Amino acid sequence: MTTIKTQAAGLAAAADERRLDLLGRIAEAGGKVTPNANPQAQHGYEHLAPCDGDEGDLLLLARRDYLEQRFFDRVSLCPKCGSHHLNVREICPGCRGAHLANEGLLHHFRCGYVGRQSEFATAGDGDGSRVCPKCNRRLHHVGTEYDRLGKVFVCLECGVITENPPVEAACLACGARNLAEDLVSTDVFSYVLTSLGFAAVRRGSLLDTDDELLFVSGAPVYRSTVILEFLNQEVKRIHHFKNGFSVLLAKCAREATDNRDGALLPPWLPRLRQCLREVDLIGQLADAVFVVILPQTDKRAAEVLRQRVLAEIGPQLQLTLSAIEITEPRHLAQVLAHRSGLSEPR
Amino acid sequence: MSGFLHYFLSAISPSELLGFSRDLPELMTSAFMPWWLMYVLPIVLWFFLAVGCWLVYLVKPAVIRPPLLARGPQPEPFVSVVIAGRNESASIGEAIRAALLCGYANLEVIFVDDCSDDDSVVVARRAARSVTRYGSDAHRVRIFASPRRNGKASTLNIGIRMARGEFIAIIDADSTIQYGAMQHWLLQFSDPRVGAVAANVRVLNSTASLLTRLQEIEYAMQFTVGRLATARLGILPIIPGPGGLFRGEIVRRLGGFDTGLGDDTDMTMKLRKQRWKLGMSVDAVVWTIVPVTPRHLWRQRMRWERNMVKIRLSKHRDQFVLGRYGSANAIVALQLLIIRLAFPWAAVTGLFFFSFAYGPLSVPRLLKAYYWVYLAFLLIKMLIARDIAGTPQPNHFWLLFVFPFYRLFLRVPVMYGQFCELIRIGAKHPYVPDHIWQEIPWW
Repeated sequence: MTTIKTQAAGLAAAADERRLDLLGRIAEAGGKVTPNANPQAQHGYEHLAPCDGDEGDLLLLARRDYLEQRFFDRVSLCPKCGSHHLNVREICPGCRGAHLANEGLLHHFRCGYVGRQSEFATAGDGDGSRVCPKCNRRLHHVGTEYDRLGKVFVCLECGVITENPPVEAACLACGARNLAEDLVSTDVFSYVLTSLGFAAVRRGSLLDTDDELLFVSGAPVYRSTVILEFLNQEVKRIHHFKNGFSVLLAKCAREATDNRDGALLPPWLPRLRQCLREVDLIGQLADAVFVVILPQTDKRAAEVLRQRVLAEIGPQLQLTLSAIEITEPRHLAQVLAHRSGLSEPR
Repeated sequence: MSGFLHYFLSAISPSELLGFSRDLPELMTSAFMPWWLMYVLPIVLWFFLAVGCWLVYLVKPAVIRPPLLARGPQPEPFVSVVIAGRNESASIGEAIRAALLCGYANLEVIFVDDCSDDDSVVVARRAARSVTRYGSDAHRVRIFASPRRNGKASTLNIGIRMARGEFIAIIDADSTIQYGAMQHWLLQFSDPRVGAVAANVRVLNSTASLLTRLQEIEYAMQFTVGRLATARLGILPIIPGPGGLFRGEIVRRLGGFDTGLGDDTDMTMKLRKQRWKLGMSVDAVVWTIVPVTPRHLWRQRMRWERNMVKIRLSKHRDQFVLGRYGSANAIVALQLLIIRLAFPWAAVTGLFFFSFAYGPLSVPRLLKAYYWVYLAFLLIKMLIARDIAGTPQPNHFWLLFVFPFYRLFLRVPVMYGQFCELIRIGAKHPYVPDHIWQEIPWW
């Protein structure tokens, strides 16, 4: 039993070592890795040097906040076999064949006939006029005698005309045919080293047991994943106890922050902390966006606090501070919008 | 003057009006030909078909309302429901939803928007998404937004060109197919000679106003029972625009509808000339929205009547060459000339005739007699309609007394429309865009 435990500990240590090495290589490569297209890769993309084939480790490190995932591309996969080798094309809604032609639809004003351009035969005398198949009259002038109704897809097998044909993907690996909306899609990400990742590289160990998992390096500020969890908890309390809370949302210019271990922290943060109660929590939502959770605080009290904080910090041109009361879960969306930079705080 | 007024008032007083029993037997036992030709004969012609139909229904109901047969091994035919509309955002969603949910699975809906100014296309797409699932089911609805306004006929032709059904149902954008109607609608196509089947068009907004209630009665008697009877005799004069089911190959071979007004009449005439049988199904119910205000009703009826003159008297005037298109078509042509044209004008002429020949007070006396005769026939016909088709609603029966005045009111736009069209006053209708109108050769 002891031997198994020892072996397991050794394996875990080796895995940590490998992941730390991966973080180091990413840091040396500029702190960011981007996937490269490769038809032979499982999903059509792979991360080349410095992290060859370490997809599993990249995901794990991102989950543990050492790396930040950034959307790079979306890949469609066969729902049957998972291959990305798909032949995507429009098909006929009638016979499901792919033998379609994109053709103009003509409308003859005089008799009302509507048909494909190829049905209106070109007159033989070379003046470029066409002949209506319904009334056999010559069509000379577009706009006064006939008109183009736009282009449509015509099935050359069964003759069905459609403006928006369904899109189908035939899997070249297993032969399955699926409509485009039935395909499985997976996202491919690039990875950026976070402040936690930088700190781990600098210290030469992963920081799973340190406070740094919770806090932005050296500051009493919770990491975004942590503060979001706290926010979720507060929202759950609203459900149960029906009394809301408030948040202070602080947004400052990026250049006004102090880069410490890769973390961007503004110099006024300690003074903000001094203005708050022990129970209030500060967290970093994004690089230059901070949130303060004020439990059991209504809008009026939050507004008073906001004024006090502004008075304490003094005039800061780059800082925008707003108080938001959250009494319903949907109010949280307002706060999260600032996280992704969707709107400016009032 | 006061003496004349006194005499006049006494002639139209309720007590005098109720004394019709004196006049009626007198007229009915007389050999006074104008009375018989101008007043009694039209009513009888209008009436005896319904009675005959009802008698058949009493003896053999399956002839009038054929029951659905147990489904055989052959698959259900594919039906394309083509809807053309312009600025119909208020009703198009319901029309698409009803068509998709009518209880017939092997069906597609094609909505062609005639360059609407409103959000008809958006509403139609939303309605389609609300009913169809993702995947292949989503392609049961196809929506085509025409880049230029072309009028109803050309818009329908776009839909017909896109339709892939063995049968093509044409409905209006403000009409909805009743659940279970499609199976009944298709039933008559088991006869290969049948080219098209008219739906039983009923009034959706019958409780909106007095006018719509009266229209419900009119639709029940004239469109439901009237068309049923004429269809049984092979002289159905129209496959109505709000609900007609056609064999796809015929419509495609004809190149769709011709441009201009009266597309339904025109298509019916073409089918009749090709000797296709036209049917009518009581159980293929299509609900439609009718005009609520007198102004709209007036305009609708004027348009119908002008179209009748345009299409039947002008474009298809060769139908009057008796024998060219067979006896049934000859009867349809005569019916048109006698019932729709000659009788109304003869009735008006008759009023002047009586007025001049027997003094002005003979007219109110005549009309009151006519009113009661008409009322008696009307009651019987309403009961027949109620028995065969379950319409009109019993709580609308009291409108029977008002109905003759409603018909009298409609005579005005109808005859005015005929008159204007015959002497070509204001022949152009805004329903047809200018660029189409300039190219139409028919009138």
